[in-house]
Order: sequence, then C-alpha cells, then structure tokens
Amino acid sequence: MVKLILFEWRKHFLKIPVMAAVLLFSILNVAKIYSVYEGNSLLSKNVTGPLWKELYWDMYKDFGGTITDEKIRKLMAIYRPLEQRTADLTASTTYRNADTYLANVYEDFHFFRWCYVNPMKYAYDYEAYAHGVASAARDNIAFYQSVGNAYESRKNAAIAELFEGRAITSFSYTEMYQHYVQYDFSAFLALLICLYGFMSVFLTEKETEMDALLLTTEAGGAATVRAKLMASALFACLVCFWFWLVDFAAFSAIFGSWEAASSPLYALESFIHASINVSLGQYAALSAVVKTAGIVVLGLAFLLISCFFRNALIPFIIGLFATFGCVYMAEASMGSGRVWLKAINPFVLVVNRELFRKAEFVSLLGYPLPSYMAALLFAAVWGAVFLGGIAIFVRKNAWRQGGRRRVTMDL
Amino acid sequence: MKVTFKGISKRYKGKYALQDFSAELENGIYGLLGTNGAGKTTLINIFVGILKSDSGQVLIDGVDARSLGVNFLSRIGYLPQFPQFYKNFKVIEFLRYMCVLKGIPAEQGEKRAKELLEIVNLSDAAGKKIGALSGGMRQRVGIVQAMLNNPDILILDEPTAGLDPQERIRFRNLIAKFSENRTVLLATHIVSDIEFIANQVILLKNGRLLKQDTPQALVGGIAGKVWEVAATDETIDEKLNRLKVSNMMRDRHEIRLRVIDDEKPDARAVNVLPNLEDVFLYYFEEGAQW
Repeated sequence: MVKLILFEWRKHFLKIPVMAAVLLFSILNVAKIYSVYEGNSLLSKNVTGPLWKELYWDMYKDFGGTITDEKIRKLMAIYRPLEQRTADLTASTTYRNADTYLANVYEDFHFFRWCYVNPMKYAYDYEAYAHGVASAARDNIAFYQSVGNAYESRKNAAIAELFEGRAITSFSYTEMYQHYVQYDFSAFLALLICLYGFMSVFLTEKETEMDALLLTTEAGGAATVRAKLMASALFACLVCFWFWLVDFAAFSAIFGSWEAASSPLYALESFIHASINVSLGQYAALSAVVKTAGIVVLGLAFLLISCFFRNALIPFIIGLFATFGCVYMAEASMGSGRVWLKAINPFVLVVNRELFRKAEFVSLLGYPLPSYMAALLFAAVWGAVFLGGIAIFVRKNAWRQGGRRRVTMDL
Repeated sequence: MKVTFKGISKRYKGKYALQDFSAELENGIYGLLGTNGAGKTTLINIFVGILKSDSGQVLIDGVDARSLGVNFLSRIGYLPQFPQFYKNFKVIEFLRYMCVLKGIPAEQGEKRAKELLEIVNLSDAAGKKIGALSGGMRQRVGIVQAMLNNPDILILDEPTAGLDPQERIRFRNLIAKFSENRTVLLATHIVSDIEFIANQVILLKNGRLLKQDTPQALVGGIAGKVWEVAATDETIDEKLNRLKVSNMMRDRHEIRLRVIDDEKPDARAVNVLPNLEDVFLYYFEEGAQW
C-alpha cells in the first residue's frame, strides 16, 4: 500500500505545475500578509508613521508581562494628563514638541489609548466580566430548572463551567494574533491548489486510458482507489501544513512578534466569548488542524465530482462553484444565530473562528453540543458520504468479488 | 490452458454489441477480426472484466472466471486500445509501478522488466519519459507491461493502431515470440496483423461469431472465388459498381481488378489464389451470408 501511495503521489502531485502553484501561491500569500500588516497594523509605517513601532517596543519593556497595580499606576500617570490636555481639543499641534513622545500631544494620547490603555483595560476587566457571565448562567440554570427546560438548563451549566475562573493576568502584544485569526486568504489558496491537484487523481486514468488497464491488475481496483484517497489526503495535509507554517512564520516575522502565544484565546476582544479555554498558541495549532480537516472534506467532494467526468475542466468549474456556494452559505450564516446552518457547512471548518469565537450550542438529543463539535461531526458525516460515493461510483472489475458489484462503463 | 466463452451477450441501449458469442481458445495466437463496431472491444472488455456481460460465462479450464476473481487477473496480461500511459513517468518507473499493481516482488519485477525491455529492444529507453517515446516504442512498453507477470493469457486490443509499417512488422514478430505456451487473443481490423502469425482467426460481425478456423482453412474456404479481371478506363466504373473488388492496379493502359465472386465475373476472368484479406472482404462486405 505504501508503494501504491507513493506512486499515486508521484503521478498526480509531484508535477511541475502543482509545485509551481504551491511556490507562487506561497509568495502571493506572504505578499498578502505584508499588505495586511501595512494596511491595518497600528505599528506599520503606512498607518501611523515610523515612530509608533519604536515607541511601542520601548514602552513594552515597562508594561508587558504580568499586569500589576504598579504598572497600571505608571501607565495612568502618563495617560491621564494626556487625556486631560486633549479633552477640549485646544492643545498645541506643533510638530515635535519637546515634552511629547511622538509628533504632538494628540498623537501621544492616541498611541497610549489604542496601544496600551484600551487593551490593558480589556485584560484587566475580563475577569469580572467572565465572572458576571458565569453568575448569570448559574442564575439561568435555576430558572430553567424551575420551568422544566432541561436543555437550556444544561446549556447554561456548560456556559457557567466554560466562563468560570477566566482571567487575563498578563498583557502581551496580541495585534499579530488579531489579524492572524481573521486571515483566510491562505486557506482559499490551499483549497484552490487542492482543487487543481485533485482534478487529475481519477481523471488522469481516464484521459490516458489507463483506467481499463488498472482494473485488470490485482491491486488496480479498490487498493488503488484507497491509495489515491490516502495520497490525496496526504497532499491536502501537507499543502495545508505548509501554508499554515508560512502564515505563522510570515505573521510573526512581519508583525515582529509572536510572544502572545501563551495568552488565553479570550485575550483577543473578538474572542471575548470564546467557546474553548486554550492559549493563542494552542488555538493557532487547533485552528490549523480544523482548517485542514475542512479542506480534506471539501477535497473528497472534489474527488467525487471528478469521478463522473472524462476531462478536468467541467469538474474543476463545478468544484469551484460548489466552493463558492459553501463560502456564500458560510458568509450568510456568519454572525447569525442559525447554528445548524453553520454546522452543516464543511467550509465553516476552513474559516473556523466562527465556531470558536462564540459559545454556541446545538441540541443533540436534548444535550447541548458546542457548535465546533457539531461542525466536526457533520464534516465527518460529509466525509463518509463522499467516500461512500467514490466507493460506489468508481469503476470496478466485474470478476472481483464474484462480479456482483456494479460496473460503470463509459461509452 | 483452455478459455471457453459460453453464450456471451451484451446490449447497449437495446442494441446487441455481442450476441450469444461462444468460442474455445487454447494455446496459440487467436486473431479476433472484425470491422469497427463488430464487438471486438466489447468481447475483450468482458473477458478482462472491465465490462459485465448481460448473459453467458467465461470459463478458464472449465472454472468460471467469476469464482477465480483476483486469481484470474493474475493470469492475464492486457494491452488496451490506445493506451497513453503516464507521460511524466520514465519507462522503468512505469514498469515498476505496474509490478506493484500486479503484485510482483520488487527485485523480481526489476529483473523481469529489464529482460523484457531487452527483448523488445528498449533497454536504451528505460530512463526516457514515456511522453518522449514514439507510438511504436509506447506500444512496445505496453507489451512489456502486459508480459511482466508472465501471463497465461495475453490480450491485445488493436495493438498496431497508429504504427507505421516497420513498427507493425516488428510488433507482430514480438507477439509471435511471446506466444509460446500461452493463449494470445489479438483483436484487430487490420488483416496483415494476423495473417502470418495467427493459429486461428475468429471472425466477428455485428456482435456475432461468423467463423472460427485456421487462416489456411478460411483461405481454402473461398478457393475458386477470387478472380483477376481486366478493365479499361471506359469499363472500370461499370465493373466497380457491379463487382466486389478487393484490389485495383493500373498496368500501363490496362487496369487489373482483384474480384471476389462465387461465379466467374467475366469471360476473360482468371482464377487466382485467395488470401486472408479476400476472406475478410468476402465475409464483411455488405450482403455477406451468415
């Protein structure tokens, strides 16, 4: 089987066009990440000028790490006067005042507000907020029990357990992760490469008239189909792994830090209601695995579609439109309360922040199942359906298994 | 080794591609001759299991191929019609892959592949990409892959299609070389492919078996029915319309026609010795009797 997988790999993926696509898309991906930084980061020259970055890392020596009362007092000692001086908008705007860190007092005020005060305030307040959520959930448990709603009662118990004891104890530079968790371009590129690569997996045999020859050999039937599926899954995993590696390396290098890896996921404001208690570093790994699973499931769909055709163009177009359909469905359900609609779409695994940024549940036989688990279960079902479809529709030899199985013949 | 086809039938959209085909094959070369659409490829596809027949059986030494399953596949070598193989594979790489598919141990397969490449005179091309080979070389690679597992039955579907005359002769000789102690079924519509190498010829027309016999017997069967008739530019059109002409040759001012007819077609017609091409024309021209 290993040899068959290696040959399938060699046949379909170890080709110059595929390798070139991976290389070119990687370059494009890095360029895109750079444009994300240049267009959005508070520390980029384009957004705030050259001085913010330098000042940020100078100040970070003082304010980074564990949040202490002393650090807060020191920060507020800088920030409060700035706030007062700029409140009535009469402060001097003269460029480069001697008593300012940056160009003028307004710029100082905005720098401290956006880079330190607001993020640190969010971190400092989070413990109380989480405690409030957990308390409210516990109150709800009692209420729903009193009205006999077992599902809502269980759901609130799960929420209370999730939010109990949450706190952000240290301040880190999370801007890189804020953009990293929102970044989907590389997933789209990986999906395109898989779509392109997978088109040839079954079609090459038809185009080269090798399908007939394969079927007349001992391992050319089911074993070859299994080898094709394994080689394809391996290819998808490697392409995804490569792109996630490029993403993380490029984000870390371009933003200049990845040190918030040990901060909790809810340290990002967009993940205030995160459905899992993991660190940002763990989330980066988990998200990569879930994205890969989503791409593998969509890849199986591409493979199934290609089984019905004799040339690559039509299944490629169908696969592309199916992907766009899934993207549209994911966009339409994003942010809405239609959790089932999110969960049944395998594409939601590819843009999985929607599953992890909110504590959402679906009812499974009256028990609250977190939406990410539901989405993973549905993806497994889709994967099984696609695999079953491939097993049914792929051509077989009539003499195998007594010739009882279906034989498809293209005329 | 004895292969028996028993009442094989196959219909596509209500039309018979193969109808109640029965034949017996033993060791030797069997030429499966028929026009395009006669059912040759359908028969071969059913034989190798790519296609399921609507009815009938294929027996190998009296045992149903269905019950042999994979064991049957290990006994056949098959060269399909118009195989392209994988253009980005080197010849030796492709043969290694075929060894894996056929369950041949790596060392044994490597040795066998090299031996066969030597026999078909392709040793120098072992490291070449398949995409860089000529049609004839590719067909020789095809026969090598079919022979890798040293099969009892070799099945070749239109193996000389697209080859030039020199390559066709070379390929024909190879098949003759490989036919020792095995059954070779060679489907073609080119008479010369099998005329000199086939031990038996199976004539297939509209999905039905027309004749199965040795080439000599088939040729002998139309002895006295092949004529040479002289014509001129003035009479040629009339003769072409009226007679079943297998060949026409201009010799100075005269045109000599090779005619197949049960009766003497012309007072000046001269009886000549028939060949297999005449047999083909005799049976496959419209109006031939069952």
